[in-house]
Amino acid sequence: MFTFLLIVHGLLAVALLGATTHQALSVWLPARKPAGSFVGRLRSVPATSYANAIVVLYLATAVLGAVIYTEYRVVVRIVLEQLDMWKTNGAFELKEHLATVALGVLPAYWYFWRAPLAVEHARTRAMLTALLAFVVWWNFLVGHVVNNVRGFGS
Amino acid sequence: MTVPRSFQAFAVVFAATFAVAYFVCVYKNYALFTYHPAIYEWGLGVQKPKDGPAMYWFGWMATSGIVAAIVAAVAAWLPEPVTRRLWSGLSWAVPVAVMVVFCYLLRGYFTR
Repeated sequence: MFTFLLIVHGLLAVALLGATTHQALSVWLPARKPAGSFVGRLRSVPATSYANAIVVLYLATAVLGAVIYTEYRVVVRIVLEQLDMWKTNGAFELKEHLATVALGVLPAYWYFWRAPLAVEHARTRAMLTALLAFVVWWNFLVGHVVNNVRGFGS
Repeated sequence: MTVPRSFQAFAVVFAATFAVAYFVCVYKNYALFTYHPAIYEWGLGVQKPKDGPAMYWFGWMATSGIVAAIVAAVAAWLPEPVTRRLWSGLSWAVPVAVMVVFCYLLRGYFTR
């Protein structure tokens, strides 16, 4: 059961990673002319259309993460401690805290991305987007590393 | 969907207060409840581990969520001339600062 939930959690995280990356790139490195290349098209998406999806995906990923975290605490973390894998353990601790702090900014993120976009809040919007993108990338990479420590089905 | 203007004050104050309250909850272990994952048992407040580890993370989130919701509701209730002066950047600046403090707090994991 937890393996299934872990896979769904991972798939949701992939979707979230794509959405936040698209939005962050289109906000911080907007395409100045019609995009022709792959990277150009990556930057030229309509950023506003991602906001609701990002909120829903973040919440869904966090809820599933919270469910499987209980299994992690009993099955994985104890092994990490026994193996003296302190950096991996610390990276996961940070993942837990960063994910929670980012959860608290979701109402503000949602509010400032509502259409029509307020020009005076452009900086706030960009910073909230960058914050979420950083947390999602960190959590995705750390989750991937921790998942690899024990391996699938072990 | 129409959102009242006071929601801006609520959202900004909630983001900032939640981050600070969560840090305080982690640092001082103010968990509203404890989960014992090995025996699938919940308990009110901070409890010692029973037959396995104790998880306080859910309790920290609950405590900080309640505190932030109360403070943000008060902020949203303030008159508009007051809330208009509230810097919207607090919604990211405070959480970023708290994230940096967490990195410092957990440095022991990476330096041992």
